Amino acid sequence: MAWTKWSYMDHWVTETPQGPQPPSFNRAYMDRYVKQLSALGFTGFDTFFFYLPLYAGMYGGVPGFERFLQDNGFEKITGIFSAYPSATRYTAPHVRETHDRIVADCTNTLRMCEGLTGVENFIVMPTSTYHQSEPVTDDTIKVVADLWNRVGRLTLEHGMTTTCHFEFWGAIRTREQVDTFLEYTDPELVHFFCDTAQHTIAGVDPVQLFRDHSDRCTGFHFKDTKNVDEHEAYRTPPDPELMAPEVTRWFYEMGEGGLVDFPALMKEIVASGYDGWLTVEHDKAELGGGSYAEATAVAKWYIDNVLAEAEAEARAELEAAR
Amino acid sequence: MRDTLRWAYALNQWNVRLDVFVRHEEQQRALKTVSACGFDTIELASGTGRWDNISRPEVILANHGSHEGFLDFLRRAKVQGVSSIFWDPQAPTEEEEGYAFRSTANPGDSDAIVEWAEPFVDFLAGVGGEQLVVRPVGSAWMSPPLDPDGIKVVGDVWNRIGELTSAAGLGLALHYDCLGAVHTQEELVGLLDATDPATVGLALDTAEFTIGGIDPVAFYREHADRVTHVHLKDTRYADAGEEYRMPGAESTMLKGGAGRRIERWFYELGTEGGLVDVTGFVAALRERDFPGWVVVESDHGGNPAELAMLNSWYLQRELGVPKS
Repeated sequence: MAWTKWSYMDHWVTETPQGPQPPSFNRAYMDRYVKQLSALGFTGFDTFFFYLPLYAGMYGGVPGFERFLQDNGFEKITGIFSAYPSATRYTAPHVRETHDRIVADCTNTLRMCEGLTGVENFIVMPTSTYHQSEPVTDDTIKVVADLWNRVGRLTLEHGMTTTCHFEFWGAIRTREQVDTFLEYTDPELVHFFCDTAQHTIAGVDPVQLFRDHSDRCTGFHFKDTKNVDEHEAYRTPPDPELMAPEVTRWFYEMGEGGLVDFPALMKEIVASGYDGWLTVEHDKAELGGGSYAEATAVAKWYIDNVLAEAEAEARAELEAAR
Repeated sequence: MRDTLRWAYALNQWNVRLDVFVRHEEQQRALKTVSACGFDTIELASGTGRWDNISRPEVILANHGSHEGFLDFLRRAKVQGVSSIFWDPQAPTEEEEGYAFRSTANPGDSDAIVEWAEPFVDFLAGVGGEQLVVRPVGSAWMSPPLDPDGIKVVGDVWNRIGELTSAAGLGLALHYDCLGAVHTQEELVGLLDATDPATVGLALDTAEFTIGGIDPVAFYREHADRVTHVHLKDTRYADAGEEYRMPGAESTMLKGGAGRRIERWFYELGTEGGLVDVTGFVAALRERDFPGWVVVESDHGGNPAELAMLNSWYLQRELGVPKS
């Protein structure tokens, strides 16, 4: 049986009378967006913490929004993404003095999720930009680990898993740094979220990383890239994702000739016994004239055809080995 | 789509200008989108010239080498085949005598138009399609009103082409549109009466009918024996009277250049304020065990992928058609 737990990460841009906008433009656009994801067969929905008040306003509360998802065949809201990509004097994960504020923010986000069916992942960017955090020392990673241990304990009390999504431009980006961070965090409280493109850009093999840390992994962003960062773009201030001189677009949907070996990852996932959600993410799909709608349909086609075949092969291999 | 009805999706919304939708990888993305939405069969729409390489039969073959080569191209995206191809002999093309302007309403044009049909018949038969869907007559504003004799002239052309399609094992379906010189229900029935039911059928487009002031459900119930093909789409507007007669109605009416300035007429299934009784129409098709293709269109609408997904949603959630 093909994998049924595919969720969609809430990046989307659509044409409105006021130009290209996220579907949170108004309720009608949100409804259309959800229906499109539903038509493709997604059953989980991940979103950002900053969208929750908007959706609450449109649907009479975040649970009301989740009910609309469920009316359209979704199981539930599966993940909430929280981040401090830019370090400020208020919030910077590598600065211990800002941790109380970050924990308070997380508490507020958790409150907004009350009444939901059961969000599984509280996904965080563990650090801000590399250029604001450097030098990244062992102590830096310890400070960051302390923060997410605190948040991990907090989210666990609300039934959610704190899971860390590493960016190629974040302070923790190399294989060694990721390993160190996972070592310094409590495996019961802090987990690992595998973004296939971000790791690949950072020169880290996401398949090997998952293989080595599958016991800590609670989710994935399935997205592709065509470039490894070979010019230290990760240090580009103020932002490497849109302003790196050598690469104007980092992220692509699956099946478009990128570097990530998704069938290999799928087989590794099956072999590991992982049974959680797999999430499709399209980040900045509109660059170069792209369309989120088409990118999503093409990615789901890839899931239904290429990844379904890889999954079936992996299951057959497992069966044969028994 | 897994259903007793046979569903297909029209690719026309992707090919909105002369110089877009040309690269094969773009076409593959569109085909994958259609496939991901649950459709494994497509309708093509004719065009002209070297860039219409998924539209014009000769250009398709030049790109893919053979009918089988084109089918292999579709199957790479898990699209299994072609239901139909749309052709408007009134639309000037390079291939048809170098942009000759001809009309089925002109008896002097009949021989040429019959000859022009041949590449479509050959191509459609070669790819295993079933229906040649045609615009039977040009726009009303471009010519004097058709009297019964004029309708007979039009009918005669299509009877001749119907013999060609029939000999090739294909159907010929006359596609009524809201701008056409055959406009009223009486005129449409007159055209059907002027054609041979054994070889010429009707393509019922739910939005075009509604805009033109013909109830698609009632018409289907009354003339189900002549309906051999369906285009399913919605509209929010009907012609208020004589809008289709405005000079340049393709732009003044359908693109909002004048009159009520309505810039978009065709909508996806389930659109807010849609005038078409889609569920009633599909129920009528089911009552009669409609054997033809039901082609969902996102015609002149917006982002084609968004509209394909919304149409797919409507089929799955409102019409109860499982995707697979």
